[in-house]
Amino acid sequence: MQDKSLKLSRRSFLRGSALTAGALSLGLLDFQSWAKSNAAAPVRRIPTICNGCGNRCSLFAYVKNGRIWRIEGNREANGNQGVVCPKGHGYLHDLYNPNRIRSPLKRVEGKFQPISWEQAYKEIAQKINIILMENGPESVFWVNYPQPNHAYALRFMHSLGSPHYFTHGSTCYTARNAAWNFTVGKLPSNDLANSRFIMTIGRNPAGGIDLGQVRDIVKAKERGAKIIVVDPRHNETAILADEWLPIKPGTDLAFLLAMINVMVGETLYDKEFVANNTVGFQQLEDEIINYPPQWAEKICDIPAETITRVTREIARAKPYALIHRGYHGAIGAQYLNSFQTARALAIANSLLGNINRKGGIYFPESAELGELQPTHPAPAGPAGPKADGTGIPGRYPLGSYGDGISHAIPELALRGVLKCGFVYHHNPLRTNPNPQRVIAGYRKLELLVVIDPVLSETASIAHYVLPASFYLEADEAVDTKHYGKRAQVSIQRKVIAPLFDSRSGFQIIGDLAKHLGIGKYFNFTLDEANELRLKPLGVALKDLKAKGILPVGEAWKEGFGKLETPSGKVEIASSTLERLGYPAIPRWEAPLVSPDDKDPHSFRLIHGKQAIHTHAMTANQPYLMAISRRYDMIRLLINRKRAEKIGLKDGDVVKIKSLVGEGEIRVKLTEGLHPSCVWLPSGYGIFSKHLTTAYDQGLSYNDFLPTLFDPTVGHAMSSEVIVQVKKA
Amino acid sequence: MARYGMVIDETKCVGCYACRVACQNQNHLRENEAYNYLEEREYGQFPNFNREFLPLQCQHCDNPPCVAVCPTGASQKRKDGVVLVNEKDCIGCKYCIAACPYHVRIIKKEGYIEKCRFCIEFVEEGGKPACMTTCMTGVRLFGDLDDPNSDISQFVAKNRHRLRVYKRELNTKPRIFYRKA
Ligand code: SF4
Ligand code: SF4
Repeated sequence: MQDKSLKLSRRSFLRGSALTAGALSLGLLDFQSWAKSNAAAPVRRIPTICNGCGNRCSLFAYVKNGRIWRIEGNREANGNQGVVCPKGHGYLHDLYNPNRIRSPLKRVEGKFQPISWEQAYKEIAQKINIILMENGPESVFWVNYPQPNHAYALRFMHSLGSPHYFTHGSTCYTARNAAWNFTVGKLPSNDLANSRFIMTIGRNPAGGIDLGQVRDIVKAKERGAKIIVVDPRHNETAILADEWLPIKPGTDLAFLLAMINVMVGETLYDKEFVANNTVGFQQLEDEIINYPPQWAEKICDIPAETITRVTREIARAKPYALIHRGYHGAIGAQYLNSFQTARALAIANSLLGNINRKGGIYFPESAELGELQPTHPAPAGPAGPKADGTGIPGRYPLGSYGDGISHAIPELALRGVLKCGFVYHHNPLRTNPNPQRVIAGYRKLELLVVIDPVLSETASIAHYVLPASFYLEADEAVDTKHYGKRAQVSIQRKVIAPLFDSRSGFQIIGDLAKHLGIGKYFNFTLDEANELRLKPLGVALKDLKAKGILPVGEAWKEGFGKLETPSGKVEIASSTLERLGYPAIPRWEAPLVSPDDKDPHSFRLIHGKQAIHTHAMTANQPYLMAISRRYDMIRLLINRKRAEKIGLKDGDVVKIKSLVGEGEIRVKLTEGLHPSCVWLPSGYGIFSKHLTTAYDQGLSYNDFLPTLFDPTVGHAMSSEVIVQVKKA
Repeated sequence: MARYGMVIDETKCVGCYACRVACQNQNHLRENEAYNYLEEREYGQFPNFNREFLPLQCQHCDNPPCVAVCPTGASQKRKDGVVLVNEKDCIGCKYCIAACPYHVRIIKKEGYIEKCRFCIEFVEEGGKPACMTTCMTGVRLFGDLDDPNSDISQFVAKNRHRLRVYKRELNTKPRIFYRKA
């Protein structure tokens, strides 16, 4: 059935577009010829969501004669407010990328051979059954980048009896989340649009794109808000800012402690809020005295007067003032002190009295999707803890059990703890630190199954590759979004028929379950499951399909209520942390490593996003890569004076070397970067030969990073790396 | 009849290139063919540093040098203010490319010359140029400069003293107005 409709749709596609099969495989090279011959064809407009990055913005896809033409942002979506970023526009062309896999593949003696779905499932099931018998269900893991099917992936793992479901979190955000959890009970949002003073620290929504946040920052700016960007690099958000504070990377904690010092010392904090809604202020007063701006200046390179002045300014605007809740940079997963930095950031916000206030940090009313049970009983959860030690005292007590420590998978595989893995919508070989080690770990697995539309680095070493449908080809699970003042629910829809023999992620999970004898937990169709999950939200599936996104739950209300912390208040001092043997109040903690001041070639290697690329996923996209090339963006940024000192000119090729890796890349000299570091744009350095546009273009910071685990959270500490930079 | 024009707020562009790709899709361009460009400029010395991106595209000049040099009349200035190339009449001589002081014209793979068309067919159906509607910071405003009630006319009225045209000294009379800091 599948095959027949596939052929039909392909044939009609070819007829309609007057392309040859060869031209089809070349995809968009013939965009224009296709457009000419289809000028008069009727246009269909279908709501769906983007898959260019984890934001999953709401779109309308325009289709003519079965071919995607263009997309437009959905104005109803709080997250993207009607606009689309470059990745969204570019990534849709990957539908027609000749690098796509056309059927399931099996690796035989190092070469991939096409195999039928049925045969692939049978062989996978047979191998897993043996692994399960010999090693137990804990030896099986699943890892994915966030995607709407996460509930089903988790159900799949629980049905098998394994606790080992992982996300990419430990290389991204786990320190931030842990710190906000310990301080205010959960991760909040930023009410940027209504703020009068916005400070970002290590967060760049205009480069690591968050469309709604940028729009809100622009709205605030138009109303006269002051915007300050604290970042070692003059990032894209800094272009919109009033002031750029070029901090020495790894020292944001010192800057924040000094801000708190000024707030406390000059009594600039919100006294009423602190008295009524926080615990531990007294302890903070005692501790923070050690961190005056003069002390911080020497560490973080921001003049003491500047720290004092901006603290006074932000306090004057309170409570309509905020320090952005942060993401990956500085507080997410980058430094040994990231957790304490995030704690200090949460505490500084609390002192502004901005918690759950307009123009401050707020908690949107959460709208939870319904459960499949009791209609479809859930499997019993796995009995044991995760082998990565998340949540276990003495190991990674502050680590996120839900996310796990996914960059520990290679270590666990090398130790023989994990034997079999599923990798879905994720490419750890390229996005985890220390690729040699990651490759060794994943290669050690007895069975590696990768679900991906292309042969990524990880897929390239898999035993089986199952071609996931491209996001424009498949309906998937509904998902909620919490951007803005009311939650929303959205759905990915099938916009065109699959071009090749691919299947949706939802279907692949269910198929695997059936072949593994756990099909009873997947006795439902996607529509049934979606309907069940939408039910408590009062949304009908057909309405959601028609609109793409709908508001759900209650609207946000201003006002401080009981928090989900042990005390129900903001925990400036955390007794839980103290009990676990950590400081109850953030203390200065130096980064793990620092460049050698006396060595002109020694730099910290930091990284960040360009607006045109997401992780390792978009570098193979010709439209986006054309921008990288045309504007010479695949370069290492280096401070001009530092570069000149070691004899470098703009465009020179340098050799970068760390303890674990080396590589060559051209430099861009700039005045917009702190002299202690070099900055590498993320997203490049693709080494899968199957990704022909991206292959061997630039480097990834992961090439240089040792395998590190923050001792409390377990995150990757991905900017704790010193490199030697020399003219090649 | 409408007289179209555009305002580009150069203080707001963060250099994301969404406009470039949105335009490529709207106009079915290949990956190396683009009608939108950015010029990045850096100012100052560390730590007192700033930079900006200047979005560039066909300026739809009222006194267009490209039209003046076109031997076949393929490059035209329309009554509604839009400068267009009629691909059927274009012989690919590239005189216009040499004449355009903004360097925004490209040679299509088919051999004819093209550049930003203000998405005019789409505008005539009631749409707005793709570069404008996709921009997260709202850099561009497009509309009828002859209609005093249009968003763009109102913006021009309010910001007149901060608007300038690019390379004014060349007397090309662009219909794109840049708002500077
Ligand atoms: S931010 Fe861009 S890539 Fe990410 S989901 Fe939105 S439109 Fe797509
Ligand atoms: S979309 Fe807007 S912000 Fe992005 S490059 Fe274009 S003009 Fe600049």
